[in-house]
Amino acid sequence: MDSKLEKLKNEYRNIPIPKELDFVVNKALQESGVKNMNKKSNFKKMKIAAASVAAAFVVMTAGVNASPVFAGTLSKVPVVGSLVKVLTFREYNIDEGTYNSNIKVPEIQGLENKALENSLNEKYLKEGKKLYESFEADMEELKKKDGGHLGVDSGYEIKTDNDQILSIGRYTVNTVGSSSTKIKYDTIDKKNEVLITLPSLFKDESYVDIISENIKNQMVEQYKADSDNFYWVAGIEQDGGIELFNKISEEQNFYINQEGKLVISFDKYEVAPGYMGVVEFAIPTDILSDILVSNEYVK
Amino acid sequence: MDVGLAKQITDYVIENKEMHYRLAFSYVKNTEDALEVVQESIYKAFSTMSTLKTPDYLKTWFYRIIVNTAIDLMRKKKKVIVVDDETLAQYNLSTVDHYADIDLQKTLENLPVRYRSVVILRFFEDLKFEEIAEILDENVNTVKTRLYKSLKMLRIQMNEEKEGLC
Repeated sequence: MDSKLEKLKNEYRNIPIPKELDFVVNKALQESGVKNMNKKSNFKKMKIAAASVAAAFVVMTAGVNASPVFAGTLSKVPVVGSLVKVLTFREYNIDEGTYNSNIKVPEIQGLENKALENSLNEKYLKEGKKLYESFEADMEELKKKDGGHLGVDSGYEIKTDNDQILSIGRYTVNTVGSSSTKIKYDTIDKKNEVLITLPSLFKDESYVDIISENIKNQMVEQYKADSDNFYWVAGIEQDGGIELFNKISEEQNFYINQEGKLVISFDKYEVAPGYMGVVEFAIPTDILSDILVSNEYVK
Repeated sequence: MDVGLAKQITDYVIENKEMHYRLAFSYVKNTEDALEVVQESIYKAFSTMSTLKTPDYLKTWFYRIIVNTAIDLMRKKKKVIVVDDETLAQYNLSTVDHYADIDLQKTLENLPVRYRSVVILRFFEDLKFEEIAEILDENVNTVKTRLYKSLKMLRIQMNEEKEGLC
């Protein structure tokens, strides 16, 4: 082989391997649902992690009313109607060199329907806690190897807040070299104090196909307008044998925006390459009008 | 999910992660993006397991996913433009001189991605022409032609360097 080419080959072979690679690979395998196939059990590790973390880190859990830090935050908190409020109930933080977590757990207050309020708040707290615990475990695992960067940032945003609707989105961004983002929405009818689910908006299940078709069209249109808007969908030329977006699930993530439009949301990697991030599609109400139960929420 | 196959893919992915990372890096040229390509390729591999006809093709199948994922990412970040051969030929003749004083590594990086791919896969990854054709979804002759052209583009600079022109 040409000596210059040999040199290039050596340079290629010597591309340094980042410390995070192991972790990224294991994480991706886990998220692909094959974690149990790894011979090593994580069970033992978790226990050790829990013990050492308790000793080494300051976990800040601040009650809303107790901490002056939240005074500023509170005034910015959207006041929902006159009574219903969303507050940061608790924060889990770790800030230790290359390990950073910031998890904000929201709490809804002021609903008359306490069963609904409690079930949502319990869910938020439980998920926040779980996220924090898995971060701790991951961090310990990474430390036992060569270390590396690890971050999780979780919080919430109010998507819609009007007389009728409260849509709250809770996001989680995991950073390990690259990042993954997930958002989950809850939409509440404040007048009737009920949680709105996607199926509950429609007369029958035909919404799945109608919405899916519209989204597929939007994906292709967006791509035609700018080829950077790349989706894994029929109608856009694909390079590899990627599984294409076919239809939304019956319980697909959604919220209702300020204009009363139904917005369907997909997590990073769900329907598009990672660089597209979280993607969402507003569905034109006119294509839904025949199947909507009423125009009370979606207008 | 075919558990046996999933197990094989898992083992393969763990065993060859460094090779996969280097391959990804050779396209995207930075750590963060290369990690993202590796991560995303694993997701894709498991969501498209059914397209892998036999485990014999595991390597070329996975390489193909990495190469495509990397190009996808570059499409966004660097706006890779796919050029047909005629355009390229003109481009090549008229721009060779501009690269004469840049090192070979740069020259390789400046090759259009289709040409760079064959060099990487053939010489750095030591793959057979048949395997490269499989990965790039081209026929073997196209791969050979492309490699020949790539080398020509690289050699021009090498020769000039030898002759002390830079």
